[in-house]
Amino acid sequence: MRLAVFLPELVRHLFKKPATVDYPFKKLEVPKDFRGTPFLHPDICIACRACERDCPAEAIEITAVSDVEKKFKMIIHNDRCVHCAQCVDSCPTNPVKAMEMDHLFELACFDRHDLKMEWIFVRALPKKEPKPAAPAAGPAPS
Amino acid sequence: MKFNIPIGPQHPALKEPISLRMTVEGEVIRDVDIRLGYNHRGLEKLAEERSFIQCIYLTERICGICSHSHATCFVQGVEKLMEIEPPKRGAYIRYLVAELERIHSHLLWLGVAGHEAGFDSFFMYTWRDREVVMDLLEMISGNRVHYAMNTIGGVRRDLDEAMVKKILDGIQVLRTRSEFYFKIGANEPTFVGRLAGVGYLSKQQAIDLCAVGPTARASGITADVRKDDPHAVYDEVPFDVCTADSCDVLGRTVVRIKELMESYKICEFLLKNLPAGQIAVKAPKRAKPNEVVSRYEAPRGENIHYIKSNGTEKPERLKVRAPTLANYPAAVEMLKNGFIADIPLIFAAIDPCICCAERTVELVNARTGEDRVLRFSQLRALAAKRSKNLPVQRNAVWPF
Amino acid sequence: MAVLKTILYLIVYPGLLFLFVYSTFCEWFDRKVYARLQNRMGPTHTGRWGLLQPVADFFKLMSKEDIVPDKADKTLFTLLPIVGLAIVVTAGLLLPLWSVSDAGAGMVSFQGDIIVLLYLLSLPTLIFFLAGWSSTNPFSEIGGTRVLTMLFGYEVPLFMAVLSPAILADSWRMAEIAQFYRDKPLLILPNLLGFVIALICVQAKLERTPFDIPHAETEIVGGTFTEYSGKKLAFFRLMTDIELVVASGLVAAVFLGGFPGGIGLGLLNFILKTLFVIFFLTLIRAMTSRIRVDQVVSFSWKYLAPLAVLQLLIVILIKGLIL
Repeated sequence: MRLAVFLPELVRHLFKKPATVDYPFKKLEVPKDFRGTPFLHPDICIACRACERDCPAEAIEITAVSDVEKKFKMIIHNDRCVHCAQCVDSCPTNPVKAMEMDHLFELACFDRHDLKMEWIFVRALPKKEPKPAAPAAGPAPS
Repeated sequence: MKFNIPIGPQHPALKEPISLRMTVEGEVIRDVDIRLGYNHRGLEKLAEERSFIQCIYLTERICGICSHSHATCFVQGVEKLMEIEPPKRGAYIRYLVAELERIHSHLLWLGVAGHEAGFDSFFMYTWRDREVVMDLLEMISGNRVHYAMNTIGGVRRDLDEAMVKKILDGIQVLRTRSEFYFKIGANEPTFVGRLAGVGYLSKQQAIDLCAVGPTARASGITADVRKDDPHAVYDEVPFDVCTADSCDVLGRTVVRIKELMESYKICEFLLKNLPAGQIAVKAPKRAKPNEVVSRYEAPRGENIHYIKSNGTEKPERLKVRAPTLANYPAAVEMLKNGFIADIPLIFAAIDPCICCAERTVELVNARTGEDRVLRFSQLRALAAKRSKNLPVQRNAVWPF
Repeated sequence: MAVLKTILYLIVYPGLLFLFVYSTFCEWFDRKVYARLQNRMGPTHTGRWGLLQPVADFFKLMSKEDIVPDKADKTLFTLLPIVGLAIVVTAGLLLPLWSVSDAGAGMVSFQGDIIVLLYLLSLPTLIFFLAGWSSTNPFSEIGGTRVLTMLFGYEVPLFMAVLSPAILADSWRMAEIAQFYRDKPLLILPNLLGFVIALICVQAKLERTPFDIPHAETEIVGGTFTEYSGKKLAFFRLMTDIELVVASGLVAAVFLGGFPGGIGLGLLNFILKTLFVIFFLTLIRAMTSRIRVDQVVSFSWKYLAPLAVLQLLIVILIKGLIL
């Protein structure tokens, strides 16, 4: 037990650069695999609805616009999304996933309806060997 | 002169809603009454309507700080129900994240303890260092709070060589920094003066009141699920159960600091012995009718999930016993005969996570004030009666 | 003309306006240094380097809704912040800040002004107690009693520590005490112990960590100020800031040789010396954790008071043997 044990450490930091970042004006980089906002590549999607089924927050909604043209509408409700990226894992398209996550995390907005994202697309044809909707698509490690 | 002061449900010391009603005499607390149920989220009911995969993300959101604990506890149980086992590499990564989470949780607690004692510099420095482990977790899993690493049958993301190196470096930084700051904390007379001898809980009391986690270990009980009932990788990893005999808040601090050091060791062991292979096995969608109890040593103590399956892809019942709930009776005992000034410290010493523990609702008749206890089946019958004639609706449809 | 001059003194310098500007600056300095000690940034955006942040906080509070509890004593509740502010500003006038005459006196200077200043600095404590008591909130009441309990701890050592240089200088007038130490700078050294004691006691008087017990936010919410909001809270905050300036000015005047050099240089001296004292106060704030109220009392009677007596003894011995 000594008096003023913290003193040297405090004074040492007095003229050092602060550890904090001036946030809204300066931003830190997010890591490369960051789970941001989900988005759809409408040209690849085969409308299998695996993402809709597995989404824990019911944030994905796929409806058929016209059965003749095989046209579908997909809505992602970003106000409900919990950013778990299960839709990316569930997506059976290979090797490029139709669902992907970007790096956006500043989603604040005045109206939750503004957070809705919509795509109307024609269903892509599945490749020859479409993988089943596996809950875990673990890549093989080295 | 005796009078009542309400601590919570809104109070700067408690960031979550709970009401502690203190009967104080001057500065001394004579009696404590704990009121729960301000933040019941109907989570267990919700779990019954989700598939097992969706339930992982639901259980993860039971707690913001030990999110991985709840998800892991749930996944362990479901894996037992489905009779699969995660591959070695998957298990190692899963418990690596668990230990990193323990580090982050304990650092967070130490900072909070500093803040509750009014030692803001200690708080700022520990939280600055906590950023290191938060960044590591973000790099591994893609998010800072809800890691979403678990899936049934393994983990979702792999580690590569560069990541392993980064984590090892980060742990080295953390170790040197924590040793340095803990030396400071242990030598600052005003800080130690606030912690020592406060919130006494004898060994016998801790056993009687079923305390868990660091609260129990600070009273000299060697209770740690990782050692008592080694799940997954813990029988391969060398580590010690940390205890203290002082039975006070200082002891709880010491236990957490020692556990931090043990966690650094465990992380290094896991990383250095990381086996090659798959990180996940394919899991079936359904589980056979069965029931299972899953135990897990969360940073705050023993976490218990009871899962019952009925052959469908949804659990029939999920029961969550968060560690905080087990520590409430001990907290009441500790608070008695303490000073008002020590309320935040004593209560924070059990590392309360109130929202995790909110599983109960007391039904009180507002007119008569009488309360009643219902069995689960009765509650279910009530709910069925109420919702029988309502149209079926999706859960997440907003009212407008 | 004389009336105009007096009004100028009272309102502009060294009265209300100057104290307002300087005390907000001191709060900024305190916050900035505190933040840098903790490896943070502190205020950055309002004004250059966040200099205007305390002013912005003040005006923000002024524009907020002002609530008086139903059960509170309304007159007392409303009057206390105003009276408190008036008291500390009056105390500020007593500082030997600026030479009116050659003797280096302040706006008001007379034999015994150090006692009056100490007395005026004791009054805010009573104001805080009454504020806590009149708001009829359990947290405020606990805060109020803690204010008084602490008063018994630090007041006596503070008086003894501040009066010992006065005894050595053989004067009860701050301007003369300062003049004495400027003439014999070496005699500042025997008072070092008293300086440290005075710093700790001033810290307790200003209710800053480790003595922020009456408004410890994690224990009793806002303590004495729990029920205060809007303009009244703004006044209380300004009052604490001005008290910081006055108390550090007192310590600087008594222990560090005052503020010589007329209007310009004297002001510079004042700023440098008070900031020096405030820096130490901030260091203490960053270095320690809050202690309990019983620990305050036992600490001050076990350590501070005997040390203050020792300081008095040293001063008396020096006075008797050397001078």
